[in-house]
Amino acid sequence: MNLEKVVFGFFVLLAATLNFGFFIGDIDDPVVHNEYELFAAVVVNLVATVLKFGDRTQIGAVHLATSLVADLQLIAATLVWAYATQVSTEGLTASATASVVSLSGGALLANTVSLVLLVVETVSFRRS
Amino acid sequence: MSRGLRASLRHLTGRDQQPEFRMRRRSPLVTGVQASATIFVILRRMRAPLIILILIFAVSVLGLTLIPGQDANGQPWHMGFFDAFYFMSYTATTIGFGELPYPFTGAQRLWVMGTIYLTVVGWAYAISALLSLLQDRAFRQALALQHFTRKVGRLREPFLLIAGYGQTGEQLGKSFDTLGRRFTVLDIADARIDALEMNTHRADVPGLVGDARDPHNLEIAGLGHPWCEGVLALTDDDEANLAVTMAAALRRPELPVVTRSLSPVVAGRMQTFGDPTVINPFDRFGDHLRLALRSPDVHQLMTWLENGPGAERPARASAPAPGRWIVCGYGRFGRHFTADLRSEGLEVTSVEQHASNPDDDPPSIIGDATDPDVMERADLRTAVGFVAGTENDTTNMSLVAEARRINPGLFVAARQNQPRSAPLFAAMEVDALLVPTDVVAHDAYAQLSTPLLWRFLRELPGRDDEWAAGVVARLTRACGRRLEELWKVRLTLEEAPALVPWLDVGALRLGDLLRSPADRDAPLPLVPLLVLRGDECVLTPGGDFLLAAGDQLLLAGRPAVRRQLETTLVVDALPEYLVTGRRVPSGWVWRRLTGRHPAAPPGLPARSVGRSSGDTRQ
Repeated sequence: MNLEKVVFGFFVLLAATLNFGFFIGDIDDPVVHNEYELFAAVVVNLVATVLKFGDRTQIGAVHLATSLVADLQLIAATLVWAYATQVSTEGLTASATASVVSLSGGALLANTVSLVLLVVETVSFRRS
Repeated sequence: MSRGLRASLRHLTGRDQQPEFRMRRRSPLVTGVQASATIFVILRRMRAPLIILILIFAVSVLGLTLIPGQDANGQPWHMGFFDAFYFMSYTATTIGFGELPYPFTGAQRLWVMGTIYLTVVGWAYAISALLSLLQDRAFRQALALQHFTRKVGRLREPFLLIAGYGQTGEQLGKSFDTLGRRFTVLDIADARIDALEMNTHRADVPGLVGDARDPHNLEIAGLGHPWCEGVLALTDDDEANLAVTMAAALRRPELPVVTRSLSPVVAGRMQTFGDPTVINPFDRFGDHLRLALRSPDVHQLMTWLENGPGAERPARASAPAPGRWIVCGYGRFGRHFTADLRSEGLEVTSVEQHASNPDDDPPSIIGDATDPDVMERADLRTAVGFVAGTENDTTNMSLVAEARRINPGLFVAARQNQPRSAPLFAAMEVDALLVPTDVVAHDAYAQLSTPLLWRFLRELPGRDDEWAAGVVARLTRACGRRLEELWKVRLTLEEAPALVPWLDVGALRLGDLLRSPADRDAPLPLVPLLVLRGDECVLTPGGDFLLAAGDQLLLAGRPAVRRQLETTLVVDALPEYLVTGRRVPSGWVWRRLTGRHPAAPPGLPARSVGRSSGDTRQ
């Protein structure tokens, strides 16, 4: 067992699950989308991205690309959230919540691709 | 795999195509993976610091949002993620705007105190990791490699690959740079590549530190590059030179390869791969000295032309009367040289300290040449020539001094081994000095600068002294004491469009071409060294030589004169003036007004080259 692979798989999976946890629920209901979950998703996604740095294989490059997409989507979601809560006079309305959640939904798709890659990589790994 | 297939396909098809077309095709040089290696090194090394930084930030922000605080009215208040991240950003970067938006409670301050130390340590770790990465040797090499690869890949003009940038390489590089030729350098020593960067070349010279024996390094240095036009293997290691020769012959069989070796065995091994030119400095020096003994003027001309642009006219060696020669040092050089002299029918006395092998060709005298008794036995007084050819510069110099003391009239040749001895040997003013690195540099220059010069030099040894003295005198009149650049003119439609109608009817003589476009009675101060037509060449053709289309001329003269001649080649009104003395306007308007047109030979329309009439009519 390779500890590096364990940590890598752990963070990739955790990024996807946290993202999913935030995404699930009515899209315009702020009550079912916890901001702490979004924060955790951003942090874990960033860590997962950094873990993917410096892999020169083809699959490693695609891994990094999916992570970067997820980061982009999640950071966009947090920016929308920050705008709604801090700048906008109307606060976290249903439409703002819908924007945040749909952006995180995009990140979820990227994270799912990441998971598929992880599974493909594992399955295609042959023991000598 | 597909790249290899493509490369071999290109190789196969390329043989049937025009060489120029093949030259201009781009081929994938170095893989993208390799070019972006640097960024991967950075990313990989920065993993740990970045993750630690992210975690420290995450924990600090999360803590701030969880710890209860108070607003301005003393009401319980929880900091949001936005404020917490804002606070951590300015605190972690040591900017410190203070406690915003409300003054902190004790619990918050306790937490912030911890996070301040954590974040500062995290930042310091990340930044120091980045800085140490920048100073890392492996990283810098990766960076240099990427830089070099990019520079070589961008070359869009013919260049030479020089493997081994020692004395010889440096000297050659300077000559080629003066000619405006590009080259890339591969050398195993850092110091020499640093020296390359310190040198002031006109063009940018990419240099890589690497082992020339590694084909990968050669590939990066441009061996597979479509614009690579030649390979020079000039390292001081025979095996490395052999490896470069092999790699070049296998990878690019069509490229000319010039290399050096002192050993005939290695030279033979090199010859089995393709057809490289192997320069043996001892051999070449022997040839030179024999030529100098036989015909000193031809030798002077040859040396001058070989030394390259900017070289001062070498002194004419005064050949000694035939007689006995003494060769001190009977090693590889001594044996070679003795054989050369004997083949000229000269008597040779060789002196060597140790008889290495009694079977093969022992020296005439065994003993230390610096010993006066040994010198006495060699009998310097009755000799005409003396060669100090040991592998030790100090010994060679003392031998020369001793020989001159005994017999001041001797012709003295010496071998210089170390470059740092050069000023001392120069001060001794020996009649012939062997500097192996110079010999190789001059020979390689003569072979690669232009094929016409090499052709000229090969024709030289058969010529007589009188002719050579004449050429040297003409060169001195045209160039002065320092040789100007030699250049080539091809009388083709591309290079000399104005001349083609005249050449096609056979109406242009060399003497007419070399008249001044300003005043046809004044000849241009140029020396036509050689005309090459097909496979035949004429050395120093006379003024009545009839030129034909496709001829190649090798000319020597000052750059200003070269520009005048180039005007003649492209302005279509000039050849008529030079041949007949009739001035023809070169502009359309003036031709209309004066009614004079260039006399176009039958069947060929007059070619018009857009030039204002002013610059040709003065």
